[in-house]
Amino acid sequence: MAKSVLVVGGGPAGLAAARTLGKLGIPTILVEKEQKLGGRPILEDYHTLIPRKMTPQQVIGPFIEEVQNNPNVDVKLGVELEACEGEAPNFKVKLSNGEEHEVGAIVVATGFQHFDAKRKGELGYGIYPDVITNLELEQMFSREGKLYRPSNGQLPKRVAFVFCVGSRDRQLGVTNVHCCRYGCALSGLQGTEIREKYPDVDVFCYYMDVRTYGTWEYPFYWAPQEKYGVRYVRGRIAEITYNPQDGRLRVKHEDTIVQRPAEVPMDLVVLVLGMEPSEGTKKVAKILGLAQDPDSQFLVPAEDSGSNIISNKPGVFIAGACKGPIDIESSLAEGEAAGAEAATFIGAKVSA
Amino acid sequence: MAIHERSLVDPERILRKERLVIDGIDVSGDWNLIILPRVIEDYDLSFLDEVLEQPEGKTILQCYQCSYCTASCPVHNYWDERYNPRHFIHLARLGLIDELQKRADVMWRCVSCHKCTHRCPKGVLVEEVLKAILRVMAKRGIIEEYPSKKFDKFFLESVYEYGRIEDGELLFGWIEKQGYQVVKDPVLKKPIPFMGGVPEWLKQLAIKPIKNMNIGFLILNAKHMLFHPRTKNWNRFKQVLRKVMEEEGVFAH
Repeated sequence: MAKSVLVVGGGPAGLAAARTLGKLGIPTILVEKEQKLGGRPILEDYHTLIPRKMTPQQVIGPFIEEVQNNPNVDVKLGVELEACEGEAPNFKVKLSNGEEHEVGAIVVATGFQHFDAKRKGELGYGIYPDVITNLELEQMFSREGKLYRPSNGQLPKRVAFVFCVGSRDRQLGVTNVHCCRYGCALSGLQGTEIREKYPDVDVFCYYMDVRTYGTWEYPFYWAPQEKYGVRYVRGRIAEITYNPQDGRLRVKHEDTIVQRPAEVPMDLVVLVLGMEPSEGTKKVAKILGLAQDPDSQFLVPAEDSGSNIISNKPGVFIAGACKGPIDIESSLAEGEAAGAEAATFIGAKVSA
Repeated sequence: MAIHERSLVDPERILRKERLVIDGIDVSGDWNLIILPRVIEDYDLSFLDEVLEQPEGKTILQCYQCSYCTASCPVHNYWDERYNPRHFIHLARLGLIDELQKRADVMWRCVSCHKCTHRCPKGVLVEEVLKAILRVMAKRGIIEEYPSKKFDKFFLESVYEYGRIEDGELLFGWIEKQGYQVVKDPVLKKPIPFMGGVPEWLKQLAIKPIKNMNIGFLILNAKHMLFHPRTKNWNRFKQVLRKVMEEEGVFAH
């Protein structure tokens, strides 16, 4: 029986799984297709993570360090899973660098990708420079440390957040019907950050619902609204246009509370992007024969298990955003759970 | 030109001109009618700043539009659906002045039952916030001094003077403040009931309780009306009250 575990994906969930396995003394192979560990938050320079309001380096940095320094974990960067033969607990896996390994269990943590905002043509992303994504806003904060309008470099007077871009939208097909889960909370946080640093900038959130679920309600909805004066307007932005006379954008929507159409001037519009399964997630699902949601293509847990990290295939465990939108701390927790589950699956004995 | 579905178009959005020239072209006749769009073109965010400047307005930011207040509001439930505290808060926050103005005729109708304030899950002091909104509207000249405030003022004056109110005087005084003519006797300068320009509905309103009063109480009331009673030692208390009112700036208003 093979006594090692393969972890596919070096983001938060994969790192957490590899860290747990390494600490348990289990030989672990971690493959990551990028040249760097850390996943989206590190690769794309997120500024602040919800819900702890810490930087990616603070949250994921220690995981990267521990994984890299643990002799039990073999980190392979720029490497993907190519093929898998056999059944648990004797998987024969082939990697893109030509190596072949025999592993007793696999943890899949292949993550998500951001929605491509250009698919919603009516929102003008890629046409008007002052229409940006919430990812670009994060990078504006983290890389440049200031808020500005890309068209002229000036501080905007008004910023609008457009919720649910690429989420809860049948117009995009059955693939984007789900809720992104993080968008409302992140917008509340970004709005807070803007108002803290630039109290004269007015911030508007255009929403259908505010889904700051559970304990996120106060820090990411009530506080932005009550303490920082972020304004919430109910109504989905249907169109963004540009007025050459004043050089400002217009957000077209119905204020559903007033029941009147509105085309209000804005200087910077931030599209709150939905989450989709990454290409890697779809590819690994085919290789390993994992069950996917027929609509969203996200991985789904085994039907007969109440645990959401148990896949339909014995010996394969799924963690993090490959199963659907999820926040970082839950990703880490799922990775740790999947790592521990994989360890028990291969019958590893933990030495005292 | 005729407008189809006329009821769907607010009268103030209809522009009709006998003669109309646009860009030098005479379009009088069939094209003399313009319906202005319903589109909101901008917010007036300074309105909210002015509400927030007042101590009573501070909690306006806490509202998340659940409408617990409106559902509890007797004025909304039993009088006029256009009286909607939740809605007024939304309009004030975005500074949708024309929408506020449309409701100016009902906005002072709060009966101060405070159900809204006691029930609000977010701790908005709804009744106070609405008063702050009304004050900003009054300052901007988009609402008239509301009639209920005239009553408040008269009520206060009466208490300030005598340490108590006198029902008859309050009723006729209020009628007078509303602009109706009240006839007074020449000696004591007291109003004579049911003379003058008092409208019929108001007479009915007053007759009903009077008819149901027992005779002793009626005489007592008449006596009080003629010789206004005063609370014992009121003058001493009045001095304290005056001091407090001066400190709180009541006389400035």
